[in-house]
Amino acid sequence: MRSRRVLLILAGLWLATLLLTPLLGSRLLSVGDLLSQDPTASTIFWSLRVPRVLLAMLAGGALAISGLALQTLFRNPLAEPYTLGIAGGAALGAVLALQIEGFGQALGFPAVAVASFVGALGVSAVILGLAMSGYTRETSTLLLAGIAISLSCSALVLFVQYLADFTKTFRMVRWMMGGLSVVGYGEVLWLLPWVVMGLVTLLLFRWDLNLLLTGEELAVSRGVDLKKLRFGVLGVSSALVGALVAVTGPIGFVGLIVPHILRRWVGPDHLSLIPACFLGGGAFLALCDLGARAIMAPAELPVGVLTALLGGPFFLWLLIAGRR
Amino acid sequence: MNSRTLLTAHGVEWQAAGRTILSRLDQEVIAGECLAIVGPNGAGKTTLLRLLVGLLEPSSGSLSWGETPYSDFSRRQLAQRIAYVPQSHPLRIPLTVEQMVLLGRYPYLSALRVAPRESDFQAVAKALELAGIEALRQRPLGELSGGERQSVFIASALAQEAELMVLDEPTTHLDPLHQREIASLLARLNRQAGLSVVVATHDLNFASLLADRILALRNGAVVACETPAEMLREERLAEIFEAPFSVVRGGERPMTLLEWER
Repeated sequence: MRSRRVLLILAGLWLATLLLTPLLGSRLLSVGDLLSQDPTASTIFWSLRVPRVLLAMLAGGALAISGLALQTLFRNPLAEPYTLGIAGGAALGAVLALQIEGFGQALGFPAVAVASFVGALGVSAVILGLAMSGYTRETSTLLLAGIAISLSCSALVLFVQYLADFTKTFRMVRWMMGGLSVVGYGEVLWLLPWVVMGLVTLLLFRWDLNLLLTGEELAVSRGVDLKKLRFGVLGVSSALVGALVAVTGPIGFVGLIVPHILRRWVGPDHLSLIPACFLGGGAFLALCDLGARAIMAPAELPVGVLTALLGGPFFLWLLIAGRR
Repeated sequence: MNSRTLLTAHGVEWQAAGRTILSRLDQEVIAGECLAIVGPNGAGKTTLLRLLVGLLEPSSGSLSWGETPYSDFSRRQLAQRIAYVPQSHPLRIPLTVEQMVLLGRYPYLSALRVAPRESDFQAVAKALELAGIEALRQRPLGELSGGERQSVFIASALAQEAELMVLDEPTTHLDPLHQREIASLLARLNRQAGLSVVVATHDLNFASLLADRILALRNGAVVACETPAEMLREERLAEIFEAPFSVVRGGERPMTLLEWER
């Protein structure tokens, strides 16, 4: 089976990324350094790089699987985790927190993280409410509603930025670039259960997602519960992306390009496509982050800037190459 | 033909936005029969099909399968009895023929939906064989001609192992050769495999050759439900379509021709 072979290759790539990228960076580490108990090397490795790589792999995987599920649900190749305004809501929350308080703490998490998570959930609640009400029979209407909410959030973000002073504006802009720079194991442990929940739920919906490829009417005639499917996919991906954006800021394009590449490579069956996206997205973001650490070393480029720089042209190439 | 009643529509009405699309319809579908539904655009054919399949709930009136009202079935249970082939499908379906047909087994998947069972693969093989498309098994749907695609959709519906298949204009957009192919496939399924068929169509000759009875709709109301020989008469057709038809060949299964002025 071709898809099984591709999955094995991706798993190999994922594992190699996990094992090798923590060794690479502005200071190269070797396995010897770690074994020789060199305290500096050990600190760089265990306290800085390993949690960062782990977070990148979880975040990349989460972005890719939710992008995949949303693309299938909306039957729209341009849908991605941020299309529905989830990132917009998170940005609004973060920007408000920065404007009102600067950096504070809430429940042990930075106020910015809490506020952006709340913002993301707020927007998701509106979208889910719309999905459940009778107003949006058509799934495409829901997509448009998400875009409208996203635009409104952007406008509010600009408004808050206009009111903010220079330091705060700088922090706001910096947050919106998305990055993995200041992380420890806390962020990894926070994200892990959301990712597991997302993976399991989407895998349970894999038949429904497959059947949706043949059209909503046919899917419903065979017993797909469209409301349940929408609720499940939207709920899971918005919670997942909200939890993620709260710790990394918005990192764009991963949720868009990874599913596109893998769909060509693995085929359309969501049973293989969901794990493939998790593995591929994770490895992709960890490698991008390695690049972001290396390009301007010792300074670091926010990884969100790099994925966006890579993503645009790459997506364009994919579209043109796809026509052949 | 035995005369067991498969499906009964009793006083079924459908209203949308205050407008009556289908008014008080009483109709039965008999086991083993082929019922064609004809009528001008906007007569309510598709609405009727969607009601029969259970995709729409009637505004008033009731539908039952045998003696059991539709409301007593879950969507999946109903899908094990009635298979639907909609009029239009997404332009690009990124599946192979086999994957597409396997999705017809959805109503039979267990709650956790782990993997398809042996019985599912047997049903797929049988459906491919009945539809005569075993050779296409591994081909991507995107590479097929319109007629082959339609056969695949029918095979996918066959994999549902339903007693009744409901098709919405299955020959529209097909060239004459493929129209004939789909017609003979449906005739074979109906007469040899004993599948009951309800098919909406604009092609009166297709209806005449295939159907045991033709149901004519106009403005959401039934004009008549008769055998092809009774239905396909010039006065009757003029009444339904407001267009002049000539019946060019009589007998059990008359052929008709739309008259032209030029």
